[in-house]
Amino acid sequence: MGNGILLLLGLALALSARVAGLTAQQPPPPLVSAQEILDGLTADGSRWLTFGGNYSNQRHSPLTQITPANVNRLVPQWTFQTGTLGNFETTSLFRDNVLYVTGPQNVAWAIDARTGRQIWRYRRELQPNLTACCGLVNRGFGVLGDKLFMVTLDAHLLALDMKTGAIVWDVTMQDYKNGYASTIAPIVVKNKVIVGVAGGEFGIRGFIDAYDAQTGKRVWRFYTIPGPGEPGHETWADDSWKIGGAGVWVTGAYDPEQNLVFYGTGNPGPDYHSESREGDNLYSTSLVALEADTGKLRWHYQFTPHDVHDWDSTEVPVLADITIGGQLRKVVMFANRNGFYYTIDRTNGKVIAAKPFTTTTWAKEIGRDGRPIELPGHTPDEKGSVTCPDITGGTNFWPPTFDPTTRTFFVNAREACMTFYAWKPDYKAGDRFTGGAGQRGQGSEQPYGALRAIDPATGDRKWEFRYLTPSTAGLLTTASGLIFSGDAEGNLLALDSRSGKLLWRYQMGAPMHGTSPTTFMLDGRQYLLVPAGTTLTAWALPQ
Amino acid sequence: MRWFFSGLTVVVVCATAGSLFAAQELPAKNPLDGNADAIRGGMGLYRARCADCHGMDARGVRAPDITQVWASGRTDAGLFKTIKEGVPGTEMPSNPRVQDAEAWQILAYLRTLAAPAPSDPPRGDAANGEKIFRANCAVCHRVKSAGGRLGPDLSRIGIARSRAAVLRRIRRGAEDFGQGYEPVTLTPSSGAPIQGVKKNEDLFSVQIMDTRERIQGYEKDKMKSVKNDTQSAMPIFGPDRLSDSDLDDLLRYLQTLRGFDPGVAP
Repeated sequence: MGNGILLLLGLALALSARVAGLTAQQPPPPLVSAQEILDGLTADGSRWLTFGGNYSNQRHSPLTQITPANVNRLVPQWTFQTGTLGNFETTSLFRDNVLYVTGPQNVAWAIDARTGRQIWRYRRELQPNLTACCGLVNRGFGVLGDKLFMVTLDAHLLALDMKTGAIVWDVTMQDYKNGYASTIAPIVVKNKVIVGVAGGEFGIRGFIDAYDAQTGKRVWRFYTIPGPGEPGHETWADDSWKIGGAGVWVTGAYDPEQNLVFYGTGNPGPDYHSESREGDNLYSTSLVALEADTGKLRWHYQFTPHDVHDWDSTEVPVLADITIGGQLRKVVMFANRNGFYYTIDRTNGKVIAAKPFTTTTWAKEIGRDGRPIELPGHTPDEKGSVTCPDITGGTNFWPPTFDPTTRTFFVNAREACMTFYAWKPDYKAGDRFTGGAGQRGQGSEQPYGALRAIDPATGDRKWEFRYLTPSTAGLLTTASGLIFSGDAEGNLLALDSRSGKLLWRYQMGAPMHGTSPTTFMLDGRQYLLVPAGTTLTAWALPQ
Repeated sequence: MRWFFSGLTVVVVCATAGSLFAAQELPAKNPLDGNADAIRGGMGLYRARCADCHGMDARGVRAPDITQVWASGRTDAGLFKTIKEGVPGTEMPSNPRVQDAEAWQILAYLRTLAAPAPSDPPRGDAANGEKIFRANCAVCHRVKSAGGRLGPDLSRIGIARSRAAVLRRIRRGAEDFGQGYEPVTLTPSSGAPIQGVKKNEDLFSVQIMDTRERIQGYEKDKMKSVKNDTQSAMPIFGPDRLSDSDLDDLLRYLQTLRGFDPGVAP
């Protein structure tokens, strides 16, 4: 044994003694375990560890300190400012009194949840000529062990050290120069980090990936457009499958019992001019159920076969077990950009209920076979055709919520129509590849939005709260009977989730765009956390 | 000698680079403005690259309305730069693949959406038009920091709107209202109704400029009613109020309004 080794051994002993001494004073929190993520939101409010709070994406908190009776006494505790351009679209994670927050422009923070003060900041240089279609945004972290997982605008997946924000590993998902980007919040299932890519407007071939959380090594890839020889490949004419889009940019759900993940997929490309891609274009605008260990497709359901209106099905799937017709059914609930609400059996992908939740002029209803019964005159061309919903859709990526106690699904819906145009595009790698455009201002009625409460057994509306204009805010319900939302004018709203009665409001100066409020307990007080514009504000009842 | 030679090389290179730079210097004005072929080409390019976000008519879908960019004071050269370089930190991407000529074509086309070229030769007396403006319009409209505020500032109307569009507005009144000029009547629980134009609104409040130019916000639940009026405060000037010849003079004057420099000498 050389002196050097002896010295090292001594150092290690001294260090471990020091660590042991520290440990005695303040036990460090254990690493985030897969079990903890699986348990989701707990009654003690001590954590929010995944995009939807639980793998089910219900965004329903068990916390009850803030109630319909006292919500009007909420006062701000602190406000955090990003100091960057662009808006939050993120869901913050919360654990051990610290918030883990991703922002626009490839920036992320750890923030002291007591004070709103930054603990660390991570910033990745923005590559030139990024192709993110709709904002340089990010929708949140995933977490496991001592690592946070974050996708980047140049289509990388990073693991960051939870304590310092330093990079642990960095893997390229796909070359961003060919139109790929990533904005999705990863979910961590067992030891795998599951993510997808954006780029449906840039001629990508979409996919969902799983990476080993420890090493960053890719474990599986599911292409949302099947390759030659695979079932579904025949639904794409010629070589259109190679550049057919179908990105995946909104977080899916996970059912541990079946060990399946459920993801909504994006629009086929070119978005509007579709002659080059004759066929149903599987698995674009679909819900896919994949085996979490292998990425193998168990079933799929296509909401809009051969979509020509840019109606990505990248809305948030919400899981629940509910009694319908006297039977307990394992369902996935889905309010789609195409204007229809769906309750689907998540064991086999069969539609249980489907009904429009906004004005839809393109399809009469969903047939018994699950296919929409389409109405004529809604294929865009050079002259233009008026269709409802518009491009943004009946709803979009902003999270809905589900209250299991009242068995109610809530969604921020939009009422708007548009003239859609199409023309033949040329494909150039990395360039826009949409083949058309929309024009607003059609029809006499002003577009408006509404928070709608839907019975998932039937798709019927229980109540609505109307906004002045369409809102793009996500939602949160709590066990005390509250629903939190926001309007496009920047009002944060609290309503009675049973009646839709407005209880409290606050003008934040910017709307929640795609973000939902979240909630947690800290020092015995329930906090409401609201990302809006470039700010993150924490609210609580007075002490 | 060797040193001298090197120095000479440097001088030559600098001179060449200088002339190259001069050759590539950005024209202040669109060299293809009004060129029919360029406009046609620009339409194709606009539709392929811009329309998806800015809309077929450039009035904005996911991205802003860009029909008023010149009216708001942007220059050809500035817009060319925006097309090529994008707007950092926003969704507007840089377009390194767009050739210079293509960017000018897009702008040439966009210009046709912004202000259709007048089909008639100019006519009327601008000096008399200005007098008519002061007597009839200036109570509500401002030009170069003088005049009323209830209606839109017209200091740049000559590049913002075609003659035909302005004529229509004067003769037939407003068919729609621009943002910030929608007429509204608030009726308080007690007292007289307040008329004005809407500057902002949400579910709970409305911010207006009233007919006395007072800017003020009101909570809706303190009002008996908040009514969006269908009639613009802008009167209709038919031939009985404004003769055809006076109208020509007024339009001629308005066409001279192409913005102004608010800077003052130190």
